[in-house]
Amino acid sequence: MTNGHPLIQVKNLDLYFGAFHALKSVSVDFHAGELVGLVGDNGAGKTTLIRVLCGMHTPTSGEVYFDGQRVEKFHPKLSIDQGIETIQQSVGLCDNLSIARNFYLGREPVRRILGIPFLDFATMRDKSTRVIRQFGLRDNVSADDEVERLSGGERQSVKIGRAVEFRNRVVIMDEPTNHLSVREREHVNELAVQLKKQGLLVIYITHDIFQVHKLADRIVIMENGEKIEDASTSKMTAEQLEEVIRQGGRVVERREALS
Amino acid sequence: MSLAAIKPLVRRHAEIGILLIAVALVAFFSTTSDGRWANIYNFGTILQVTATLGLMTLGVALVIGTGEIDISVGSTFGMGALVYLWLAARVDPAAAAVAAAAVGAAIGSLNGLLVTRTGTPSLIITLGTLMIFRGIAIALTEGFSFSIPYAARKGRSFEILGGGEFLGFNTALYWLILLLVLLTVVLTAMPFGNRLLAVGGSADSAHSRGVRVGRVKLSAFVICGALAAFAGTLEAGKLGFADGSMGRLMELQAIASCVLGGCLLAGGRISLVGALLGAFVLSSIQSYLVVMGVAPQWFLLFLGIIVVLAAYGDQSLRQWALKK
Repeated sequence: MTNGHPLIQVKNLDLYFGAFHALKSVSVDFHAGELVGLVGDNGAGKTTLIRVLCGMHTPTSGEVYFDGQRVEKFHPKLSIDQGIETIQQSVGLCDNLSIARNFYLGREPVRRILGIPFLDFATMRDKSTRVIRQFGLRDNVSADDEVERLSGGERQSVKIGRAVEFRNRVVIMDEPTNHLSVREREHVNELAVQLKKQGLLVIYITHDIFQVHKLADRIVIMENGEKIEDASTSKMTAEQLEEVIRQGGRVVERREALS
Repeated sequence: MSLAAIKPLVRRHAEIGILLIAVALVAFFSTTSDGRWANIYNFGTILQVTATLGLMTLGVALVIGTGEIDISVGSTFGMGALVYLWLAARVDPAAAAVAAAAVGAAIGSLNGLLVTRTGTPSLIITLGTLMIFRGIAIALTEGFSFSIPYAARKGRSFEILGGGEFLGFNTALYWLILLLVLLTVVLTAMPFGNRLLAVGGSADSAHSRGVRVGRVKLSAFVICGALAAFAGTLEAGKLGFADGSMGRLMELQAIASCVLGGCLLAGGRISLVGALLGAFVLSSIQSYLVVMGVAPQWFLLFLGIIVVLAAYGDQSLRQWALKK
């Protein structure tokens, strides 16, 4: 799995928000065809790390390589253009816009009349609802309804549907099963595995080590902005990894001291 | 049709409130003014005032749509008028109008760059530029007015630019209709419109989807500046002269028109038709007070009271519509 050069390589990444040291010299590799669980408590730096990968934060220092190329500029547009699709937890939907308009925001399908781009409403409506229905959108909700009126689960389904529709090379999921029913949760987890089998890199962020251990090839644990564990799921059980999270960096230090 | 059935309609169309207010006021003004308000000549005047205020209002509505505000438009209007008058006496009025709009666009881009690059609230930035360009306008005119000689107030392009009539109405009205249609298409049927409203709805979410938030806001300010200056051009074309105070306080009327018309100041929800209805209502009130012989010094007072009442009525209507 770790053969060949990594699709995303993060080297000595530091990020400060003012005086707050959010990421502390984080180095981690991600490979195509891999499902990586990114685990840690609140405030561990998981979301901050993936927000660098999807272009929303610019690191203070350190390097990010995508497919061997050093990333010079960080902007969501550039990440999306390179095929990094992200299901964000707290952002990603504009309440004032319809489902269809949110779904295609930033990459609207157009029909050109005399070279002028007009929104292709038929495609926007049909495709968006067809994709989102699989992830728990009620039948009586239409693509023209504003996102504001959706339940938490339905909002999530719009984001997931969008990631599936536009998937390219990387899908990052930040707590994707929040607000979802048991059945929808299973569906999302199956989807993550399916995407990986198609050769995509899937980064799956969660609190629940037991859930992600079943899916992932590798688990990366973060604490206080640092990476404290990076282990294959075939080498460490979910219980062992849970112990690392509970004990924090101490377990790792002890183990390193022993070896 | 039961009342509950129109709730979704009111929810989806923010302009319904102002439409009801407009209809009620027109009925009231027509019946109480003994024909002095409701006649074709007076309507022509109201529509001319609506047209210039409305063009400014359209631009302000776009900026409000992005979640920002532009209160410098009154001064931009004045600058547009002065640039047009100064040039129209020397070159073809069409070229003068393009130059005036370009000056407006430049003022708009100054506003937009200051807001997006420095992250300073647009309210304070455009308050500053409101004063700066008013100051420049006053300095340029030095207490006198700019005017086009009577002999030069003719020719097709002069007439098309607010200096003449077509089918009984000042040509400004047709510019308003043209730009309303154009901007409505841009706002509702083009990717730019989708992104503009997304930025106003949630700048963070729009950013996360790859929308260039700063660029969208800058574009809205540029369009707003150009429209305000063009409105000034049309007003100058009608009057044939302008002094340094031209357009003073119009920015407040434009913002009031937007809010009355159902534009949410927080951004993300605007109605161009509603904003124009707002401008129409303000112009109608103004005209009513004039024909009823109310002294001009009372105008602002009455306007203010009516704006407060209308805003309250509209707010109540929307809250009712949002209730399940």
